Amino acid sequence: MQKYEKLEKIGEGTYGTVFKAKNKETHEIVALKRVRLDDDDEGVPSSALREICLLKELKHKNIVRLYDVLHSEKKLTLVFEHCDQDLKKYFDSLNGEIDLDVVKSFMYQLLRGLAFCHSHNVLHRDLKPQNLLINKNGELKLADFGLARAFGIPVKCYSAEVVTLWYRPPDVLFGAKLYTTSIDMWSAGCIFAELANSGRPLFPGSDVDDQLKRIFKLLGTPNEDTWAGVTQLPDYKPLAAYQPSLGLAQVVPRLPARGRDLLTRLLTCNPALRMPADDAMAHAYFHDLNPSVKNDRC
Amino acid sequence: MAPTRLASKPIGVNENLNGIMTHGITTRSKQLATLKSYKDSLKAPNKRKADSPLKDMTAKRAAFGDITNAFNKSTANNDKDKVMGMKKVTVESKLLPILKSVKPQTAAVNGKASKTKQLQKAASNAIESVQKHFAKDPPKLVATRAQNGILKNIDKKEKSLIKENQNQSQSSAKSARSDASGEPSLYMTALENMSPNDATKEGYKVISEKLDKVNLDDTANRSLDEETGTPHEVPDGVPDFDKENWNDAFQVSNYAMDIFNYLKNRERLFLIDDYLVRMKGITSWMRALLVDWMVEVQESFELNHETLYLAVKLVDLYLTRSSKTQPEKEHLTKEELQLLGASALFIASKFDERIPPLVDDFLYICDGAYTLSQLLKMEMTILRVVDFDLGIPLSYRFLRRYARCARVSMPTLTLARFVLEQCLLEYGLLNHSDSKMAAAALYIALRMKSLGSWTPTLQYYTGYTLKDILPIALEQNATLHKKPKSAISTVRNKYSHTIFFEVAKVPLIDDSVLGS
Ligand SMILES: Nc1ncnc2c1ncn2[C@@H]1O[C@H](COP(=O)(O)OP(=O)(O)O)[C@@H](O)[C@H]1O
Repeated sequence: MQKYEKLEKIGEGTYGTVFKAKNKETHEIVALKRVRLDDDDEGVPSSALREICLLKELKHKNIVRLYDVLHSEKKLTLVFEHCDQDLKKYFDSLNGEIDLDVVKSFMYQLLRGLAFCHSHNVLHRDLKPQNLLINKNGELKLADFGLARAFGIPVKCYSAEVVTLWYRPPDVLFGAKLYTTSIDMWSAGCIFAELANSGRPLFPGSDVDDQLKRIFKLLGTPNEDTWAGVTQLPDYKPLAAYQPSLGLAQVVPRLPARGRDLLTRLLTCNPALRMPADDAMAHAYFHDLNPSVKNDRC
Repeated sequence: MAPTRLASKPIGVNENLNGIMTHGITTRSKQLATLKSYKDSLKAPNKRKADSPLKDMTAKRAAFGDITNAFNKSTANNDKDKVMGMKKVTVESKLLPILKSVKPQTAAVNGKASKTKQLQKAASNAIESVQKHFAKDPPKLVATRAQNGILKNIDKKEKSLIKENQNQSQSSAKSARSDASGEPSLYMTALENMSPNDATKEGYKVISEKLDKVNLDDTANRSLDEETGTPHEVPDGVPDFDKENWNDAFQVSNYAMDIFNYLKNRERLFLIDDYLVRMKGITSWMRALLVDWMVEVQESFELNHETLYLAVKLVDLYLTRSSKTQPEKEHLTKEELQLLGASALFIASKFDERIPPLVDDFLYICDGAYTLSQLLKMEMTILRVVDFDLGIPLSYRFLRRYARCARVSMPTLTLARFVLEQCLLEYGLLNHSDSKMAAAALYIALRMKSLGSWTPTLQYYTGYTLKDILPIALEQNATLHKKPKSAISTVRNKYSHTIFFEVAKVPLIDDSVLGS
């Protein structure tokens, strides 16, 4: 690994440490993610394989760029563009409330990255603040495609063990294995609310039941009328029939009405009715978005 | 451990040999070990059966179970085929005859001591034992696959996301994947074959579940035109399939057009050329043998068809690119061809499968001809040659899209799939784009079933006129008309089965019908 000089550790990944490093020739700063390859093992881990393959394909300003893959005896090293921090750390470093224009800009970029994934038949399946990288100049990029996968049309059954609990949609919480791009849209909704609340998670459940309860307390418990087929899902269980609560105004008090409307459309329990990313980008909430974000400048 | 292969000594095998030999001879010690693990295996999964959604298991198993019958390949087509008399119908432990000079390894699974691997091996052994019990309808490697589900060495990431409420019967970290409960168990597999001749209610249930499974793949077609129906006539323009399906989320209608345009655009990145002219020692016949074997592996491991198609693409891309860039002495030899095929399947499985088979499974199906480190090295070599780009457009995907948009029935789609899969073996067809191959295969299927010609709808959704695809359809038709060879009969046998509507038995048509 002579090409890069390691500078500091910036994160702990699932299959290895993430380092900040400098290209010795160009002095470019990059992020290195190492994947260990044990002789004893299954070769390239499927999560790494997918991350590499999918990121090689997905070249977009709101998706972290994979520059290169280096291979040596016992490891693979993924060379990424370096970003200043992840959204979680940004939240932690906030003093006071987040600027609502920043919320709008981040949300738009998140949706734009997602729309790109989805129109290139990729599901991310692990959206959360830790996996969104941001730069000081206000850019946001989707990262960590370790759980992502390419999907077919129509979709097939995929793993139900996806998405970190707090960002997992109700259909997947009920064990649905047949899901599609809507899986990411729920997470996007949760992140939207978290952004608007300066980093307070919307549904910090402790287990699946608690997670479902928190969701339904806010949005109302779904039934066959609001969501045809819900009772047929593999892990469906009847829960207390909560009525939809007074509305999102109390939950995301700082978000304007249009923002709340968009949030409602993303946080729709029935996956078939959840708003897709490209439609969300066209939502009225973004009409007054800073043009430099909307255009390709950012 | 004694070598599992007996016939690895060259038996005058050359590339013209018309038979694939399997070397399924087991040693005594292996048989003994086998018996024990078979008994154990019947016990252990019992519990699993209780806490797993049976529905899923049967669906998964079903698509496979009866196909076993299809594996009783006809033998004795000519003298050379006589060696096939001893041929086992299962895919495991097969060494392609093109690999004559490979030295036997000491053991099929490298003698590794890890628990997973031992169990893995036990599972493999158990199958053989089960086979002995039920020689009539031997269960296949599916059991090994089932064990994967249980024992799969999942990556940490998925582990961390395991359902919180899960009640695993096995507490080892490696087993902690609730997904596994949806997989068939060895127990189930064995049961299924207990009374192979018993055409009881159970049997019908299994069949109907199989059909369900087939349909599941294509839900929208379920309610559509029956076999007798014709594809929609669209005199007043083309129906908007995506609009009509807008509310069916699983169609991903809002992105479907984008995605397929994108895939079509990418086809030019994966061109395959006439690479054999650059290669010494590998022939199109060897390639056909290899692909035939890969289809067998796909069936046995219950892999998605996408996995098979991707793996075959990886083989051809690898050969195209490596033979261009590498000096001739580094070109792949015929002894390494099966290694290439197995590694390609290994990679494709990891990319596409929910629960990919383990590396040992792939070593095992090569009958220990290759070591773990050879396979892992080949994996990396392939990945580098294709530059880690596995997002390769596949004819199988295009075909499904076309068929759905044109509302083609399941049997007709299946017939087109048969055409495509048969053509996978045909080296001469590799220069055509996958989207065109799919369109041409569908066209042939429509003609074979007298369902009319190319419609404006098809033209719209494929982007091809009849003129664009007719030459390819004729080439494909020529492939179908080739005299069947028993050494490469897997596809034909597979699609002769009822689960595939016996489409391989649909009478072939003359070129004149295609041209009319
Ligand atoms: N390109 C990058 N630039 C800056 N920080 C990064 C970069 N990639 C990862 N990180 C940091 O490392 C953490 C873990 O990386 P991630 O890709 O999520 O690893 P894993 O997929 O193994 O969980 C991230 O949450 C982030 O803080």
